[in-house]
Amino acid sequence: MQLHTKRYWFLQVAGWGFVGMVMLFFARAYKVDMPLDILLKRIAIVFVSGILVTHLLRELIRWQGWMMKPVEKVVPLLLVAIVVASVTFSFLVLKGREWFDLNTPSPKNISFWTKLAGSTFDNGLFILPWVLIYYFYHFFQKSRRQQLDALKMESLIKELELRTIKAHINPHFIFNSLNSIRALVDENPQRARRAITELSNILRSSMHTEKLETVPLTNELDIVKDYLALENMRFEDRLKVEYEIDEDTLKMPVPPMMLQTLVENAIKHGISQQVNGGVVKVISDFTGDYHELVVQNTGQMDSNGNGKGFGTSSTASRLNLLYGEKAKFEIQQINGSLVEARVLIPVSL
Amino acid sequence: MRAIIIDDERLARTELKKMLLEFPELEVVDEATNAEEGISKIAKHQPDIIFLDIQMPGKTGFEMLQQLEKTPQVIFTTAYDEFALKAFEVNALDYLLKPIEPKRLSDAIHKLTASDQREVRSEGEFVNNSILSESDQVFVKDGERCWFVKLSDIRLFESVGNYAKVFFGTNKPLILKSLNALEERLDEKVFFRANRKHIINLRMIEKIEPYFNGGLLLELKGGEKIEVSRRQTVKFKEMMSL
Repeated sequence: MQLHTKRYWFLQVAGWGFVGMVMLFFARAYKVDMPLDILLKRIAIVFVSGILVTHLLRELIRWQGWMMKPVEKVVPLLLVAIVVASVTFSFLVLKGREWFDLNTPSPKNISFWTKLAGSTFDNGLFILPWVLIYYFYHFFQKSRRQQLDALKMESLIKELELRTIKAHINPHFIFNSLNSIRALVDENPQRARRAITELSNILRSSMHTEKLETVPLTNELDIVKDYLALENMRFEDRLKVEYEIDEDTLKMPVPPMMLQTLVENAIKHGISQQVNGGVVKVISDFTGDYHELVVQNTGQMDSNGNGKGFGTSSTASRLNLLYGEKAKFEIQQINGSLVEARVLIPVSL
Repeated sequence: MRAIIIDDERLARTELKKMLLEFPELEVVDEATNAEEGISKIAKHQPDIIFLDIQMPGKTGFEMLQQLEKTPQVIFTTAYDEFALKAFEVNALDYLLKPIEPKRLSDAIHKLTASDQREVRSEGEFVNNSILSESDQVFVKDGERCWFVKLSDIRLFESVGNYAKVFFGTNKPLILKSLNALEERLDEKVFFRANRKHIINLRMIEKIEPYFNGGLLLELKGGEKIEVSRRQTVKFKEMMSL
């Protein structure tokens, strides 16, 4: 039996048991003139009919899916159900008493239907709280479950967002690289072989970093170096690469493929637009409580496109997802010919 | 056929040149590394065909084509690029995806040589470089859509400020050229300056009606109605009576 079914039956038995106890208590307290065995039998009938009727009621509620309905629709339904259940309950109780011959000799000759009407009202007092308890118990369960679902959904969305951002590698770059490699196969087989290794590294890491939130900078830097080596193969002397890496920052955790995205942007919006090419410089250092990553490139920020592209917006949203307000990201023209993208990641101590 | 390769990446040019060795009918006479260089080399060599990369520093391949008075046959070479491919799908221009598949390359070249031969026959011997002939094509780009349009398919040029609206088929995109500049380059036997705002293709006239002041009203095959000014009417009648 499932846990909630067990709980249901426990509550049913406990609830109706309590009703029986109360009846017994009042009968004793008011010294009702009735033999004990008859009294107990009558209580037993209430107990059994109560459970039977409310259980049928529960089946009805579940079968019709009333818990899924909005409150304003379910209230009239419940009211009708309460009336019907009360009548049925009383009917069972009265018929049970006749059947087992438990009626006390009554001075007045009251008809069965009059008794039924009277006791329906009495017994309604049991059915009504039962329905209220049942309904509100499930109502709160449901809203708690919804809250949980909403939380789960939120974290799922966050994870998916991170994943799609990370998975982004420019197909244009892949095909251009493959094209260069094909030319190099004859011209410089050694370089071609190396290029295939570099491209494989990039593809592999872009696939499996999807599972990781952060990687050590040194891993990320390997990718960036492979990437820039491939771009160097394409652009040849139009691209110059410089690194300025503080050794101590190599172990720092960074979001995977983020530096890579910035470098890719530097090539796409910077170097590849320059007829005479230019420089890409990668800097990693500590400033204050922050780990600072900088990518500089020759070029001009164009007022319309730059700073709003996929690369920059994804970097900003990734940092926001991982570090909230604590991380900083900016991209700006630092002098006439250099554009700088700067990321500040808080160093957790 | 004489060809020029225009691509900013040396290796890409090398690879294409190597592939083109398979086609003896095609001679690569020069290469260019960007749009500016491309324009001057096209002017110098007057190639029959150019292989053109789309993403290049400075100007894109599209921008380069828009600057040309007339375009040779063009085969675009590009790595994956969503924007470019969208333009291609609309107008079925020829393009090759890098790395280029040998089969696709040979298909593209054969298609060109076939159409080339047909044209040589129709064009006759007369060629004057400064005047565009009817079979010359121009590259027209309007937003994301682009076309190679044969001059003979153009019905009408309409002046709109510094631009000219080009009417062909059901399209009327804008090009950045003044009507006066166009008039100088167009063959006056075919293209006629009807008034201050319009140049029409004489072969596209559907109907001629007299108009006020001794002028004429021409209806073109696309349904456009163009007024011929009085002064030009004299000239028009002269030409038509010949």
